[in-house]
Amino acid sequence: MTLQSNTDEIRQIEAATAPCRFARGWHCLGLTKDFGDGKPHSVNAFGKKLVVFRSGDGEINILDGYCRHMGGDLTQGEVKGNEIACPFHDWRWGGDGRCKRVPYSKRVPRLARTAKWTTLEQDGMLFVWNDPEGCPPPPEVTIPRIEGATSDEWTDWHWYTTTVNTNCREIVDNVVDMAHFFYIHGSLPTHFKNIFEGHVATQYMNSQGRPDLGDTEGSRMLGTTSVASYYGPSFMIDDLTYHYEEADHQTVLINCHYPIATNSFVLQYGIIVKKSDLLPEDLAVQTAVALGDFVKMGFEQDVAIWKNKARIDNPLLCEEDGPVYQLRRWYEQFYVDVADVAPDMVERFEHELDTTSPREEWMRVVETNLAGRSLAGTVR
Amino acid sequence: MTVQIDGRLSDCPLVAVGCQRCGSDVLVRKGSWNQTSVQWNAEASARCPERGDTENVAAYSGRGVFMGCSALADSIADAVRHGDVSVVDGIS
Repeated sequence: MTLQSNTDEIRQIEAATAPCRFARGWHCLGLTKDFGDGKPHSVNAFGKKLVVFRSGDGEINILDGYCRHMGGDLTQGEVKGNEIACPFHDWRWGGDGRCKRVPYSKRVPRLARTAKWTTLEQDGMLFVWNDPEGCPPPPEVTIPRIEGATSDEWTDWHWYTTTVNTNCREIVDNVVDMAHFFYIHGSLPTHFKNIFEGHVATQYMNSQGRPDLGDTEGSRMLGTTSVASYYGPSFMIDDLTYHYEEADHQTVLINCHYPIATNSFVLQYGIIVKKSDLLPEDLAVQTAVALGDFVKMGFEQDVAIWKNKARIDNPLLCEEDGPVYQLRRWYEQFYVDVADVAPDMVERFEHELDTTSPREEWMRVVETNLAGRSLAGTVR
Repeated sequence: MTVQIDGRLSDCPLVAVGCQRCGSDVLVRKGSWNQTSVQWNAEASARCPERGDTENVAAYSGRGVFMGCSALADSIADAVRHGDVSVVDGIS
């Protein structure tokens, strides 16, 4: 065997540069209450600076952040009536993107129109529609309602925001990555199935508790049942139930992001918890905070990996890995023109993983950890 | 940004399986007895009565995910038993 043929056998990591285009779809910018105070807010998204403001008529509007007159920064401006006024020369822009008034001029110039984004306020969250082709959002891809979000039987959103400096494909990959839930997040998946269809990608996962990891809560968590779906490229709703010895705790976890630029995104997640006899008002809020902090820890563990890992277009997979390629084929639909969405990007695909072999290994790890812990306990 | 091909499919490709109830053909791959991939097409999705039922229920419940068709699952199990679909575990 020659030296040449040896190097041929080395698996090379392939990675095209991340797309400079931003995904078509609804993106959640955060909680409405953080944008609705009548002041202009600056949001860096889709490679641009946007101004978000609630106008006098109660609507939340999103425009390009820079005034078409002399480039003034509208996010530093002031809401006057139904318009955002530029801090530079007081030009007034309406939520429809049109310049309504130049106070010191008799008339508004022709073509006085700036870029505007379609918005949606729903269940306490603010959404923006991004489409590189400039078409309005089709009704069939609208974000589904979350009943608990507006119900007194559930807590309010407990919400987190953080910036991550990598391309957002990394977080979407998590949908199919069963094994990382054990190695990164300390959970123990027992059932794992993915379904991609249309603009929705679902991960169905059951997991059992980790007796070898610190149990500070007193009551032992037996496991979780999770049905988590991305509705479009960036907004995931996770119906997540925690099973405890005494009861089940029902929660809804949102995991969403919007791109700042090609290699950075804002990651947000929020949780609501259903109140019950065992979880009255205060306790439910405490649970939301505790579970939210637990999720925060999980994402911080992801971020630590993403910070240092290589982008990879040709992952080398074993049978017990999820359908990474099929997920990326689904994800691709949001990065091409509507006319170029191929049938295989949207046709239903199911993948149910056999967790037998992973579980055998992971139970061995758990038992080794437990043995190590009891040994340490004896020594102490 | 074209998506590459899953290398696992070259070792053991998807094969066609017909559903015994609605007659639609889907593509199937068995990683093990308990591991199944199913590639549907638009025609199969439109014809599947179980999928239709889930959609009708989902219209009232908000969001409902159709987890899979039981008749198709039975058809796939039969296809494996008859040797029409091989199992990756059994190859090596």
